[in-house]
Amino acid sequence: MRASIREVLAARELTNNLVRRDLKVRHRGTFLGMLWSLTTPLLIVALYYFVFTYILIQTPVKGANRPDGHSVPFAVFFFAGLIIWNLFSNSLSTSTTSVTSSGYLLRKVYFPRAILPLSAVLSGVVTFAFELAVLVVAILVFVGLPNAQILWVPVIMALAVLLTYGLALFLSAVTVFLRDMAHFIAIILQLWFWGTPIIYTLQYVGNRPGFVRILKLNPMTGIVVGFRNVTVLNQPPDLTLLAIDLAYAVVFLVIGAVVFYRSQRLFAEIV
Amino acid sequence: MANTAIDCHDVWKSYRIYHQRSHTLKEKILTRRNQYEEFWALKGIDLEIAAGSTTGIIGANGSGKSTLLKTMARILTPNQGYVEVNGTLASLLELGIGFHPELTGRENVYLSGSLLGRSRRDVEARYDEIVEFAGVEQFMDMAVKNYSTGMYARLAFAVAVSVEPEILLVDEVLSVGDESFQARCVDRMAKFRSDGHTVVIVTHGLDTVRGLCQEAVWIEGGVIRESGSSARVVAAYFDSVHGGVANEHPSAEQDQAGAGAASITAVAFLDGEGRETTTFETDSTLTVRVECQTDLPLQEVIFCVAVYRSDSFVYVMGRTSHDADFSGRPPGRHVVEFSVPALPLLPGGYLVSVGLQDRAQKQVYDWHDRHYGFFMMDNARLPAGAGGIVHVEGHWTASPAPSAEAGVGGQLPAEGAVAPERPSERSVVSEIRPHGDPAV
Repeated sequence: MRASIREVLAARELTNNLVRRDLKVRHRGTFLGMLWSLTTPLLIVALYYFVFTYILIQTPVKGANRPDGHSVPFAVFFFAGLIIWNLFSNSLSTSTTSVTSSGYLLRKVYFPRAILPLSAVLSGVVTFAFELAVLVVAILVFVGLPNAQILWVPVIMALAVLLTYGLALFLSAVTVFLRDMAHFIAIILQLWFWGTPIIYTLQYVGNRPGFVRILKLNPMTGIVVGFRNVTVLNQPPDLTLLAIDLAYAVVFLVIGAVVFYRSQRLFAEIV
Repeated sequence: MANTAIDCHDVWKSYRIYHQRSHTLKEKILTRRNQYEEFWALKGIDLEIAAGSTTGIIGANGSGKSTLLKTMARILTPNQGYVEVNGTLASLLELGIGFHPELTGRENVYLSGSLLGRSRRDVEARYDEIVEFAGVEQFMDMAVKNYSTGMYARLAFAVAVSVEPEILLVDEVLSVGDESFQARCVDRMAKFRSDGHTVVIVTHGLDTVRGLCQEAVWIEGGVIRESGSSARVVAAYFDSVHGGVANEHPSAEQDQAGAGAASITAVAFLDGEGRETTTFETDSTLTVRVECQTDLPLQEVIFCVAVYRSDSFVYVMGRTSHDADFSGRPPGRHVVEFSVPALPLLPGGYLVSVGLQDRAQKQVYDWHDRHYGFFMMDNARLPAGAGGIVHVEGHWTASPAPSAEAGVGGQLPAEGAVAPERPSERSVVSEIRPHGDPAV
């Protein structure tokens, strides 16, 4: 197992090349290229903004104010939560099929198999980096300067990546033996989106403590809330939730790595 | 064990052949258990491949040879036993491994290179060489999906042969592509070998194994049937596969009549300088030296030398009845040589049969059917990548088209005709001298 980890680290260049391949292939031949990966979240933000401003006339966001009382527009607030969620959700859905879709490589050449879900997750990180740049511009324009709390961003991002990679290892290995997993994950992610305070805040559902408790069991809650706090709200993240997330990440990573490690010898035969 | 490159220890590998494989949840629940048969592709392979050696793995389809190679390459994991590899390893199981149609030639070179275990700096250093080898300079920034099949194959090949691991595993790559392609691949393998790297080749091409490999392993039904020097193993394999062909040959009669009247004791190949070798360049001299023991005067014995490729096509045939006079040679031991100056054969492996017959050609004294082999290499002085069967000198000329009143329509001017340049050198000579003479 330790040797496998070392191998994955040694295959940095291959991982790098696979990530580049993923990104290039996705955007090759399109006029807007990388910008396309921004259009979806921006469109979603515009849609929800429209719905909550002109149809429902009430935003599900309470307490979206900076400590100095400066209020945060719903669209920016939502966009912040959405992009960190997308990092998780996009990476997870592409990595689930990362092994099954690489059969042509698995059968022909040896490389540490664990870099397949890894490169899928890292492709998600690159896309996230673009969205983050847009978020920073939006914050500067519509909200104001961030404070020192923004230094938490890399920590929260790393936590999200660890969490995702642990799940990705597990899911990509299981999908080899059970192809249903890809469809299953697509549905689960839909539900998971609504089970995470992205469109709403924890304060918004605060009058139902049981519900809040359930939401706090969701590993993405701490990450989304924390990310929003440090970017748009100039507030510290909820350290308890982040600590729980770290525990989740470690558990997922261990389970995912064991399952992947145990089953990878069959990949080349079954895929 | 520093001088062992690959050590296979009691390797067993099975596949499950599913009669109906359930991939979805519904099927998994409904059928409860998959119906499958266990198929053992490798049954206890013990094999050591010495560092710096070139080993061919041969065997029929389904014998397990590719499974063994994939096990060495770590693509497959054995059920039992282990494979130990000392040194960096790359496997060429396919050309253009990892090529993505949407990516440009340049991007694919780097991607494929890293899959073959090369660092970016490594690929960068050899990039120009790869591109030049492939001959697709102006298309490197074009998506490979727009490449012609030939361009794609050349680029894929160039990437493949650019690898320089300590141990190279090759599966059937040699058997794809046109002849010049294959010849270059064989050249590359030979270079790789002479550089002291370890090569393991799985192939059906017995020529390749004989010409390229010192060692060979014959696998049948997942077990090693025979291993050792490639000439011996290939001959044994050839015998078992082409047993039917051999029986049709006069050799079957050998035991019945006259056997022992004359026998072949040794066969060697000599180059133009009289040195023993098994590799020749196109257009160099080949001499087949046959040592024999006869109870008859030598003129009563017909010597026959035939050169084949694995397709059983006879390329060269020499018989003493046609062009040699051995009168006055008493019974005893002799060295008989058959020389071909400027052998026109193109690169590849060739098999040689040597036989002794009586004058009436009714009796076979001794017959070594395709028992010997030599290997032709590219001659640096000749244009590379020549196609066809043999190399023939030809001349191209251009002149104005004949005017209408010249009459004879379509006829080429006389000097445009293709003529052999050295007709006299192409003739075949046989000579004889008593056994034990110093080399010519």
